[in-house]
Amino acid sequence: MKMRRLRALALVLAVVLSAACLTHLHRAKRYYAQGQDLARSMQTAGAVAHWQRALDEAREACRRSPSAQAFTVKGLAEANLGRWREAEASFLQAFSLGFREGEAWASDSALAGLAVSFEDMGLEAPSLRIYAHLVDTSGFKPALMIAAERRTSLVLAGASGLAPDDRNRALAGLNKSLDRLIDRDFACGLFHYLRAQVDGHLGDLRRSYEEAVMARELGLPSEKIGRDNDNQLVYCYVRLIASLAPAERDALTAVQARWAAKWGWRDDRTPAWKKE
Amino acid sequence: MGKKDVEAALARGVEILDELLPLKSWLYFPLLYSACVWAVRRVFDYRERILAWQVWLDPGFVRTKPDGFVLDFFRGSAPLRREYAAEIDRGDLRALRAAFPALYAVIGLEDAFLQALFKPEIDAADYRAIVVEFAVRTARARDAIGPAAADPAFWAALERIGREAASLGLHLLKDADVQDMIVALIKGPSSLGPAIPPEA
Repeated sequence: MKMRRLRALALVLAVVLSAACLTHLHRAKRYYAQGQDLARSMQTAGAVAHWQRALDEAREACRRSPSAQAFTVKGLAEANLGRWREAEASFLQAFSLGFREGEAWASDSALAGLAVSFEDMGLEAPSLRIYAHLVDTSGFKPALMIAAERRTSLVLAGASGLAPDDRNRALAGLNKSLDRLIDRDFACGLFHYLRAQVDGHLGDLRRSYEEAVMARELGLPSEKIGRDNDNQLVYCYVRLIASLAPAERDALTAVQARWAAKWGWRDDRTPAWKKE
Repeated sequence: MGKKDVEAALARGVEILDELLPLKSWLYFPLLYSACVWAVRRVFDYRERILAWQVWLDPGFVRTKPDGFVLDFFRGSAPLRREYAAEIDRGDLRALRAAFPALYAVIGLEDAFLQALFKPEIDAADYRAIVVEFAVRTARARDAIGPAAADPAFWAALERIGREAASLGLHLLKDADVQDMIVALIKGPSSLGPAIPPEA
């Protein structure tokens, strides 16, 4: 009798504990997905809070019942929070537990972390080489996105000190690599935003305007980038209507009025977040 | 429900901040004002929203803007155009670029906390002071908020203040009236500039 009770108790305990672990993993996945949704709608702060919650839950899931899934979610949350070294360790654990991509993701996380460290130390050349490598080869989106953003920023900063021909060559090369990224993932708003920035530097304001519109429609990873994208869009629009022939100008004004209405702007050049 | 009720709610907010951030009254205005902004917009992830300004201080983010963009930023804002007329006229991009990172974060991207932190300068149209003060004041704000920011009670109190003010008709008041009300509650005449750190 006593034995039977003990067995029943053990069974109940096992069910309760595994349910608790499942709940932690389930919650971690849910918070992570919500963070992704918020990031897409440019609510960075909310996204960061959700990734942090996802990380807390995933940590608990890994502690109670280590699994490839739990370590993968933990690594993803860490990567989105910029904790590259921790992400590397999590993906290696996930790999050891059967997640096939874990090794490559760990390697890309390590490289992203290394590049960020180099950049923080003012060593731009090695960080640029690593970012370029990640842009060309990485299939791990968080590492790819930070590499694309930082590489674009560093190349733009370096190009500002070059002679006009060299500068245009450097920026054209940058655009080629951004085009490859856009071909690989056309729905990533960040790549269109970066392309809009480079086109703005090259003076191709029409293309810059179109890319900024596309970036806005597809969503950007943070509110600051979203607002900057709006400012870029307005800058291009204002310059374009000042330079176009009347018929083209009227057409562009009509298009911009339609976008502005769709986005809830106060007029064709005032985003909703701007004070009156 | 009306202006008086909102004023009473904000007065309680000042008292609470007085307990949570003693001797840092220069931070009350930006904190209370940004709490009110998010309350009116019915956004209640206060902690993340109010700390988001720190993300916007990244110099790399603005240092690569093209000259035309920088020039249009100064030309496109009437007060900036007036203040920097000489630099714009002589095409002094070096001077404009030096001022751009601070002014773009405060005026161009319009973060509620940063705008409140530099309210005296914005009210006085003293944009050059924003440029001079930007790095020091934002660093001080970050250091000063740091210990309180780790305390959940701090954010719960701010959220309570914002919610209460919002429920009492905060949204019916003009933005400038809300600012003046908070300034008056903290220090009296707004010309005293509560956003200025004592040692600045």
